[in-house]
Amino acid sequence: MIGAAIKKDIWLLLRDRGALISLFALPIVFILAFGSMFNTNTKGQPDDRRPIAIAYPANDARGAAIERAIGKTQGFSAQHVATPEAARALVVSEAVTAAVIVPADFDPATGHRIELSIDLAGPPQAIGPLQGAIGGAIMRAFAPVDVDALPPVYEAMTPPGLAKPIEDISSFQITVPGNAVLFGFFIALTTAMSFVGERRTGTWRRLLAAPVSRYQALLATLVPYYVVGLTQLAFLFGLGALVFGMHISGSVVALVVLSMSVSLCAVSLGLMFAAIATTEKQLGGVGSVVLLVMGLLGGCMFPRLLMPPGMKTIGLATPHAWALDAYHAVLVRQGTTLVDILPSIGALVGFSVLFATIGLVRFRFES
Amino acid sequence: MSEALVLSGLGKDFGKRTAVKALDLVAHRGEILGLLGPNGAGKTTTISMAAGVLTPTRGTVEVGGVSLAAKPFEAKRKLGLVPQDLAIYEELSATQNLRYFGALYGLGKTKLAERIAFALATVGLADRATEQVKRYSGGMKRRLNLAAGLLHQPEVLILDEPTVGVDPQSRNHIFDTIRKLRTDGMTIIYTSHYMEEVEALCDRVAIVDAGAVVALGTVAELVATHAGTGIELELAGDIEAGRAAAAAHAEVTVTDRTLRVVPTAGLAPVIAALEATAGITLVRVALHAGNLESAFLALTGKALRDGAKS
Repeated sequence: MIGAAIKKDIWLLLRDRGALISLFALPIVFILAFGSMFNTNTKGQPDDRRPIAIAYPANDARGAAIERAIGKTQGFSAQHVATPEAARALVVSEAVTAAVIVPADFDPATGHRIELSIDLAGPPQAIGPLQGAIGGAIMRAFAPVDVDALPPVYEAMTPPGLAKPIEDISSFQITVPGNAVLFGFFIALTTAMSFVGERRTGTWRRLLAAPVSRYQALLATLVPYYVVGLTQLAFLFGLGALVFGMHISGSVVALVVLSMSVSLCAVSLGLMFAAIATTEKQLGGVGSVVLLVMGLLGGCMFPRLLMPPGMKTIGLATPHAWALDAYHAVLVRQGTTLVDILPSIGALVGFSVLFATIGLVRFRFES
Repeated sequence: MSEALVLSGLGKDFGKRTAVKALDLVAHRGEILGLLGPNGAGKTTTISMAAGVLTPTRGTVEVGGVSLAAKPFEAKRKLGLVPQDLAIYEELSATQNLRYFGALYGLGKTKLAERIAFALATVGLADRATEQVKRYSGGMKRRLNLAAGLLHQPEVLILDEPTVGVDPQSRNHIFDTIRKLRTDGMTIIYTSHYMEEVEALCDRVAIVDAGAVVALGTVAELVATHAGTGIELELAGDIEAGRAAAAAHAEVTVTDRTLRVVPTAGLAPVIAALEATAGITLVRVALHAGNLESAFLALTGKALRDGAKS
């Protein structure tokens, strides 16, 4: 019976262009868009370092040293310009990210400082680190050792207790799981829509009139969407690996078990939605917003790592955050095993139990 | 005649509201039993309980001698439901729909193929079997709805308003199918808002009102017992005042703008009373011959066909 239900629902899904687009096509568009926007891995790519304009008087050794220091800073390229006015104009026209202007009478002791020309209206999350990095480059220019001869003063290390990540993490390593989780949870909406649609058309009555138990009737609707959810995740991660060069650094078994937990959680959420909502309109409106907010708080669209501490904690109230943390470990950290992500899997199963319990308590079999 | 479906003291409460009180009804093997009732009478609630879709608050259901409460799967295998809604998947073909519904009854591959062919041939859709249902006419969808209820060869088939919104050709096809199924020994429970359908099809009719069976018998028996004869008086003006005036000289029922009266001492005192009542004009006087509709009105005091399900 479950086999027939899976077949039936897959046929229905194949003929539902809207659902196919939202489950399979939209995530690819989002992965491509976010992946391209945040791509910092430029190996073999045209130079996309951020250009920083620098203007200083002719033959000014300090200005030349700052130019070299900026040029050697990761992610920046130095662009020498003749005059301070030209440098500022480049900032205004957004041809450069910022401009460093060294005056002829530069002397911090007397209050004659270097001018960092930058659009301070930009987002603080971007402007702050940018100022810090340029400031660091300027300070290196005044080190007692020549910039060209200056050895690296620090080495970035992964502390013991955290598995070492792969080198050259591409943005797709982050955006593929982010969007897979975001859109993977949209199967909750498809599941709930299916329940409401079955009730509206009367096929639910036909199912209840058949010699199947009520829980079999529920499973006949949930299991097909669980299978579809798994297929969706397999498709997106497969595409990520084959097309976008996403690496699976940890255990594939861990990835599979994690994806099974995510799908379980999503269909359980779908059951809860179906138990609460009475119309497809309600689901389409409120359900989509709830899923988007959960995805946002969970870090699907903006990494939780960059969120303020309070928001990071709030994010843990969503299954998305736990799923993403685990996917990040499996995809980025070398040698991650199933045991390493058990806490996340436990949390996802816990969410599933909570959603399913609320769903079962409130589900109206006989409406 | 043996009993195919027995409803004993069957009742359903929704919170504090009682939809069906304690309904007793027996359908015999091979008969078409009509279920007639005004809106809110409890027909759909009754057949939903009989089909196992709703859990009764009280009472029992037996299908072919099997208790629905004690052996639900066995009882449900003996029973087919054709809901009033088009309970089919319009994106799928007829065959895909029937494969799924047949699988719910545990029909194996070979048996299912045979039964799908039979059901489609029975409802006249064999030549459109692989077409998407959304391309069907309303009547064809109704016929597929019926086919889905026949797949597992039920002993009892419950049809809830099976001809709503269908063209005359499809309605006749559905009637022919139902008659053939009855001839083959199937028991049919048929609810409809269309009085003429019930008169034409049903061997017996149960009139349901306020959650109880108020009369049961053949159409002829119901008409003879409850329709009576009388005189119809169409009024303009205050119909309630007219009813009150006529009530002193006759048994009166009111339908829309018409009083149906059975005078206790001739028609003249009734007419005189009406003419003496201010605000009333007598528009038409006609002799009323009894039929199922008048029996229904006499029993329930309500018109039947208002287009909504109860």
